[in-house]
Amino acid sequence: MMTLNAQSVSLWIALFFGAILLVAFILFPGFFPPMSPNMTAQQVAAFYADHTARIRASMVIFNFCGVMLVPFFMVIVYQMKRMATPTQVLAYCYLSAAATGATLFAIADLFWLVAAFRPERDPQLIMLLNDLAWITFTAPVGMIVAGNLCLALAIYLDDQPKPVMPRWVGHFSILVALAIAPSAWAGVVRSGPLAWNGAISFWVRISAYGAFIAVMFFVLRAAIIREGSDDDPSWGRSAG
Amino acid sequence: MRTGALADATLGSGRSRKPNLDLWICWWLLPAFYTAFAVIFVPLTRVMPPPPPGLSVAQITAFFHAHRETIQIGFGLLMVALGFGCIGNGLVAYQMTRMSISPVFAYGYIATLAVGALPGCLFAGLAFLAAAFRPDRDPHLVALLYDVGLLTFVGSLGCFATNYLVFAAAIFMDKNKIFPRWMAYVSVWQIVTEVLAMPVFVFRKGPFAWDGAISFYEGTVIFGVFLSCLILLVRKAIQAQPPDQPLHA
Repeated sequence: MMTLNAQSVSLWIALFFGAILLVAFILFPGFFPPMSPNMTAQQVAAFYADHTARIRASMVIFNFCGVMLVPFFMVIVYQMKRMATPTQVLAYCYLSAAATGATLFAIADLFWLVAAFRPERDPQLIMLLNDLAWITFTAPVGMIVAGNLCLALAIYLDDQPKPVMPRWVGHFSILVALAIAPSAWAGVVRSGPLAWNGAISFWVRISAYGAFIAVMFFVLRAAIIREGSDDDPSWGRSAG
Repeated sequence: MRTGALADATLGSGRSRKPNLDLWICWWLLPAFYTAFAVIFVPLTRVMPPPPPGLSVAQITAFFHAHRETIQIGFGLLMVALGFGCIGNGLVAYQMTRMSISPVFAYGYIATLAVGALPGCLFAGLAFLAAAFRPDRDPHLVALLYDVGLLTFVGSLGCFATNYLVFAAAIFMDKNKIFPRWMAYVSVWQIVTEVLAMPVFVFRKGPFAWDGAISFYEGTVIFGVFLSCLILLVRKAIQAQPPDQPLHA
């Protein structure tokens, strides 16, 4: 049984707000299909004028709920600290990457919201805000990539009879990092699979990230339950 | 050596036998990241040394036209590379948790750089990528992105000054001698360079402009000294660290 503690609460917060984020994702009219980088300034301005209410509604939800996933990533940090790695350095690296990564969640939606605030603004300015929103939302993937590689390395170095996480989670974490990394090019190209509306930069990146959170929910849940039932005197338990 | 931690010997049992492998992997990423950083910012994107703040709107458009491809390659790479900078930050903070003081400054080290990464580095990339994204964009908007990119890059002062402050204070107060005392003075010099960069928001030419002798060159030289010392001293700290040293901070 998973008892109610800071870790399990963090998981449930992520599940709750993750579900709301999914609704916001479906609600945003610019995601189905994702807006093309080749729209003209007039087309972009018309898009904001036609869908003002839904853009505001979906992005204000994104604004409120995006950073709510942070406690979930802190559970990963804490579980990394429980691993029998040579030192705890990788947990600090993951914490550092997760914190910087979260700032991007907080900023991308603001550009969309500012653009939707005055749809009658000069179309050139709307397009600039729209470009900044999409580039900030899609391209800065380094924090997720580096964090996932740290997690994988920590899992591989977790040298104890009952490791905190199974080794396949390390492979999975690297796979997600590799799937997400090419999106860095979304701030460069305007067509093809790497453009911000492309198959890799949009669908593969978002699916991989969603899958990572979903899988890690169950991996962390199992780790927390194992930690709770562990009879060994584990130094981290009191902090759990 | 931290006697308090070593006394807690039971915690070490079952720990990995690969001596400090995780520390060494993180350490190698430090010179690797800053080499990539130098390649991105100097030859590729031309942000270091910065183009002048006094350019006309037409000259700014010409700058992006002339260097469009390398700006895109450089900042495209930065979007991935910056994550590995976080690993270097985690490594230094970890070494700070080995100090005789409370880990408050170590946590402060991570938090200040987690804040600084965006305005102090990534924003320049986002602004320049947006400027290079559409060569036909209104030239006045390109000039706006130019100012946003360069002023945030050179003028993000407080995140880094606070970082240098907690780093210097930690070294001064640490009795375990994780880093030598002189490194604290180098870190204090870094705070001075941030103070000297404050006028970049006012001047468009001269030594205090964002490309000036004091605001840019003096600051960059001291940053280079600081960074080289940091990389070498972290290496020495790992070498001096006994393997399997159990720690919990």
